Amino acid sequence: MSATLAGTDVWGGAWGLLALATMATFVWRALGTIIAARINPDGALFEWVACVAYALLAGLVARIIVMPVGMLAESATVDRIGATAFGFALFFLTKRNVAFGTIGGAFCFLVLAWARDAGIL
Amino acid sequence: MRRNWRSPIADPDSENPQARPSKVFATGARDAVSLPAFMIVGSMTGYGSLVQSADMDVWIALASTVGIWGLPGQVAFVEFVVLGAPVASMVLAVAMANMRFLPMSLAMMPLFRPSASAWSWRYLLVQLMSINTWVGISRKAPSLPVDLRMPYYLGYSATCLTAGMLGTGGGFIIAGAMPYYVSATLILMNPMYFAFVFAAMRSRSCLIALAVGAVLGPVFHLISPEWGLPFCGLIAGTVGFKADRMLRRRSA
Repeated sequence: MSATLAGTDVWGGAWGLLALATMATFVWRALGTIIAARINPDGALFEWVACVAYALLAGLVARIIVMPVGMLAESATVDRIGATAFGFALFFLTKRNVAFGTIGGAFCFLVLAWARDAGIL
Repeated sequence: MRRNWRSPIADPDSENPQARPSKVFATGARDAVSLPAFMIVGSMTGYGSLVQSADMDVWIALASTVGIWGLPGQVAFVEFVVLGAPVASMVLAVAMANMRFLPMSLAMMPLFRPSASAWSWRYLLVQLMSINTWVGISRKAPSLPVDLRMPYYLGYSATCLTAGMLGTGGGFIIAGAMPYYVSATLILMNPMYFAFVFAAMRSRSCLIALAVGAVLGPVFHLISPEWGLPFCGLIAGTVGFKADRMLRRRSA
């Protein structure tokens, strides 16, 4: 195991580190829950928080599609954006059907990425 | 064209109040299987392969999916452990990568608050939250009586978590055996799904926030990969919220 992390022994190896990483995530979950107990779910503050959450997720999704990190970064940007655009066309043609958009878009990307791999594109 | 904009706030109205919790649990599980579960298997396959290539244990892979239950944070965890970075920087990176859970839980937990039984399980419910389960309950909650939201959410989340573990374990085992175009498609499918779920929303304030956020997200990422996302959420969310209020006042 590549437990070369500084202080790994102190923290009980990979399991100790995982416990810390889990806690680092749970802090946000717990904090949101504690604050949620104090805001009025019918009020303007709650509506604003919902908008912020959606905006943040939209930003994350757009970032992943336009400039991904990791494995997706090796695919062609034009393929990802083109496939998403194709998915959106299907989505609106099918009166906003989420499944058609997702499966159509993913299939389009699969074909494009395969064609590149096979040297057709 | 005049549309009926729905409020992003769930009204606790009742559609079939006699429905049994076990039945609603099954409905939640079925809704999760309809599409999200497959995409979770797909994206977690990528994660399982990553852990395998990092030379870490399969049990660590599975436990990190259950414990962290948020892909960006999981990836940060693995990458920092492999890098051999200081513990504090790993913790900070994971926390930053999963910061979205704060506004998400803030927006989700009020859906459970009116139900005393659900509220007593709140820390379990929030631990089960991922973008997929958040989207699932946010879409369904307005049409569910408050006491049936927890069973629906539990059915939905249990299915998603099972899918996550299947994907993680499967990806660990078949790491490297899939052609690149298949694994890349599996990873891209989930963000695409979110794009369409969001585009299908009916709340005007949320739609404006989503559109502005989609533009600002990549731009802000170029400015600051660490802080771009929270600022994108704050600014685009506020724009959506304010624009909706202004439009409402104008039409009133």
